[in-house]
Amino acid sequence: MEASATTATGVRSRLERTPAARLPDQVLQAGLTTLAVLILGLIAYFFVRLIGQSSDALNKFGFSFIFGNDWDISRNIYHGAPLVIGTLITSAIALIIGVPVAVATALYVTELCPRRFRGALGMLVDLLAAVPSVVYGLWGVFVLGPKLLPVEKWFANTFSFIPFVGGGGSSITAPNYFIAGLILAIMILPIVSAIAREVLATVPAENKEAALALGATRWEMIRMTVLPYARPGITGGAMLGLGRAIGETIAVVLVIGNAATIGHHLFNQGYSLAAVIANEFNEAANQPLHSSALFAAGLVLFVLTLLVNILARWFVRRGTRGMRAPETDSGDAASASVASAGVA
Amino acid sequence: MNKETKVRTKRLGGVAVSLAAALAIAACGSSNSSSSSSAGGGGSTGTSSSGGSSSAAVSPATLNGAGSTLALPIYQQWGSNLKGQGLTVNYNGVGSGAGIADLQTATVDFAGSDPALKPTDTKAMKGPALQFPVAFGAITVSYNLLGIKSGLKLDGPTLANIFSGKIKTWNDPAIKSLNPGMSLPSTAITVVHRSDSSGTTNGFTTYLSDVSPGWKSSIGAGKDVKWPTGTGAAKNSGVAAAVKQTQGAVGYVEQAYAIENGFTYAAVKNSSGKYIEPTIENTSAAANGVTVPADLGISTINSPSADAYPIVSQTFLVVYKDPCKDGKASTSVAKGLKSFLAYAFGAGQQTLGSGGNKLPYAPLPSSLAAKDNTQLQTMTCNGSPIS
Amino acid sequence: MRGTLMLATGVALVPLILVIYYLLYKGLSSWSGSFFSTDPTGNFFGNPGGIRSAIFGTLEIVALASLLAIPIGIAVALYLTEYGKEGWFANLVRYFVDVMTGVPSVVFGLFIYIVLVISHAGGSGFAGWKGALALALLMLPIVIRSSEVVLLLVPGSLREAALALGAPRWRIVWRVVLPTARSGLVTGSLLAVARGMGETAPLLFTVSLATAATANLNGLMNSLPLQIYTDITSPRDVIVARAWGAALTLVALVLILNVIARLISRRSSMA
Repeated sequence: MEASATTATGVRSRLERTPAARLPDQVLQAGLTTLAVLILGLIAYFFVRLIGQSSDALNKFGFSFIFGNDWDISRNIYHGAPLVIGTLITSAIALIIGVPVAVATALYVTELCPRRFRGALGMLVDLLAAVPSVVYGLWGVFVLGPKLLPVEKWFANTFSFIPFVGGGGSSITAPNYFIAGLILAIMILPIVSAIAREVLATVPAENKEAALALGATRWEMIRMTVLPYARPGITGGAMLGLGRAIGETIAVVLVIGNAATIGHHLFNQGYSLAAVIANEFNEAANQPLHSSALFAAGLVLFVLTLLVNILARWFVRRGTRGMRAPETDSGDAASASVASAGVA
Repeated sequence: MNKETKVRTKRLGGVAVSLAAALAIAACGSSNSSSSSSAGGGGSTGTSSSGGSSSAAVSPATLNGAGSTLALPIYQQWGSNLKGQGLTVNYNGVGSGAGIADLQTATVDFAGSDPALKPTDTKAMKGPALQFPVAFGAITVSYNLLGIKSGLKLDGPTLANIFSGKIKTWNDPAIKSLNPGMSLPSTAITVVHRSDSSGTTNGFTTYLSDVSPGWKSSIGAGKDVKWPTGTGAAKNSGVAAAVKQTQGAVGYVEQAYAIENGFTYAAVKNSSGKYIEPTIENTSAAANGVTVPADLGISTINSPSADAYPIVSQTFLVVYKDPCKDGKASTSVAKGLKSFLAYAFGAGQQTLGSGGNKLPYAPLPSSLAAKDNTQLQTMTCNGSPIS
Repeated sequence: MRGTLMLATGVALVPLILVIYYLLYKGLSSWSGSFFSTDPTGNFFGNPGGIRSAIFGTLEIVALASLLAIPIGIAVALYLTEYGKEGWFANLVRYFVDVMTGVPSVVFGLFIYIVLVISHAGGSGFAGWKGALALALLMLPIVIRSSEVVLLLVPGSLREAALALGAPRWRIVWRVVLPTARSGLVTGSLLAVARGMGETAPLLFTVSLATAATANLNGLMNSLPLQIYTDITSPRDVIVARAWGAALTLVALVLILNVIARLISRRSSMA
């Protein structure tokens, strides 16, 4: 590129320049630093405010906010176990369904697919991340929900002997935990798959070739060398997907059924932390305890996502450690591609 | 020179272009919007009363309101009628509870609320507030059951048991005993209720509390109650959509929504022991017998009138007595509010009733409309009466 | 094994195909001239109108959000790569920005609702610019992270060459670093914009719903995600059809941005 285009006023060294000529540099540095400080201050203010607003509810209810089962607005009691459990159930379903498919897709794209299709396939899977969550909600309400209802009923009836998974039978309706979890699985698939692909690409070729040289089949090679090497990174990717699933609001609120009770089987209606905030914030605006409870729900949500994300990034860094180049950090590249694919 | 400007200018090529384009289009758009929307206003089932409201010339302004979805069809229709005269009414159906909350934080100019104001509500307001009853709507018990067209009879205790989950299938003996001769399927009952704070819920649960002591002690009445069973949906439209999509579902929706979607609804036993279907006459019967307190906070649930449909809800427009004070709203908004309210109890009433073009709500009895008008004259703007 | 993996990939792609299929199948039939040129009428019975005000609102709000998030984001990324580097402060900023990427958008929305909407900051309750601010908060960490990665990829040798020739710092940034990283920065910014365009929750809390097209960012505005969200729960088939059409419009806009971003990044020699 045009490095020579930067010849300034013909002056040679920085020390020889007049103070006035040095001013723009100082202004730039001061300005950018100030900006970074302001942004940091904004983020800090956000957390302080979040904690401050939730303190009323948390003080009043203590641990029952998370473990008590009684979300009752009319009596001003906010024990949010149904919300926490609903969040955990739907996220678990999303992980169980989404991660194996995402890893399998990543394996296929990096190891087995004919080279010329790799880019296109990868891009197609990534496109899943571009669909807005409200569109997933629309599709879930009118397409996926009704179409899967007969299958769900059959499943519940056939496997009714298994606790939680079966049972419910004929009273199943389209909005339920399972559909919410399934939609979440689709939404986290691109993230997990993108990270898995990055991680799988860092497996040293020597390891793979050594296994092949010893006579392993393709699948044995993958199982013996690629997967163990990539496991930490893939776990990290799965956890980033989990973080996304926990915080997802709009798609969930449309398909989960909005029932503030703890469901007893997979196809029950339920509720989630994010959904309750979206549904109740408006009416809570002028009710101090209610709005504090919603902030507390937001805080719980945020802490959960934070923990999961910290763990995730630690795993991802461990997983991509092998390929750190002097000036680039592919761990960052992985997280940045994740960020742009839409983690939050 | 500002270092940020330098960084910004170069990056902003594409964004600046699209921003300019967006603003240009929007500028064209907003200048066209008044002409196209007045065309839209005439194209609906809106009555010709927009032309006939010669006595109520409205003051041009933009009013923002929010609240009851029971009354949403009314305010949307009126907004559509009045747009041609320069009064823009934006009404967001967020439920009565959220509407009152919005008024308390003064993020809206008026609230639609079905239940009358409680002392806790008025205490949290930013000033004295006035409530004006504007119409009455029947809360139907709508169901989606193949083969059962109409004529299903239900009484209070049975309804309470259905909505609390004690009765689980349509062919339950309790329902059968009220409907001999009707062959009811064994479909499971799916209860659909509101997930947001709702005046419709308040009306329905007040009725259930009146007729079932068991309901009253375990669940009670209110805008939000803890439903032991069922799916939650937001707004009247959400409940209607959920009922429509689920076989065997039953939910409580205002009549306009039931009619719009071709729902079948039940005839409910009233306080005189008769099974009444929700019609405009039966809804008006509830309105006619009501006692009116000084602050106009009426309630028509479980009306004692012999022919009244038992689950009739009133709906109020709630505003601040002095909307201008403390800078909550401008003078033009206050004037617009007053003229909107005058329209509401005046020419707007002609859009309600039975008959092809009208909205399925019962209009105000003339005595009540007169009381509304009297209260309207007490509105002020920064202390002086609004012209 | 190859077969199983291929099947799994197929399974992963099935939702994408189904979503696009249904969007086209149900949404295209709503598209018409009047769909894009009329506002939602808000009528309960009768003609529901089109989505013009929603499109305008989205464009206006997202444009304002981008105007805020992109320059500030790139500036912070510049700070991190040029000045902060591995220092304690820069690492602190990086850490907090990372944490921000994980915050669910509902929590942002609630925050802005309490801080700006209820308190009537700026003299209005719900307002378009507050929604833009919430979106900007959402987009900012994404822009910062992706810009930082791209800026780090600019070879140190280029910077050193410019320094050796006597160029001041600001000149290096303006003339060497930024032009080299330009396509990567644009890609990252476009992806952030695409992300912001599809977000509903922040707007739910800050902008509420209006039907008329307006350029007044200090009042209520319509927007595509909110219009879709409201229309989904309507029992009227014609309004649901409008939701499909609006969803198709939104996805088309987002996909176009994504495709452009990827084409730019494919073309460049960096990123």
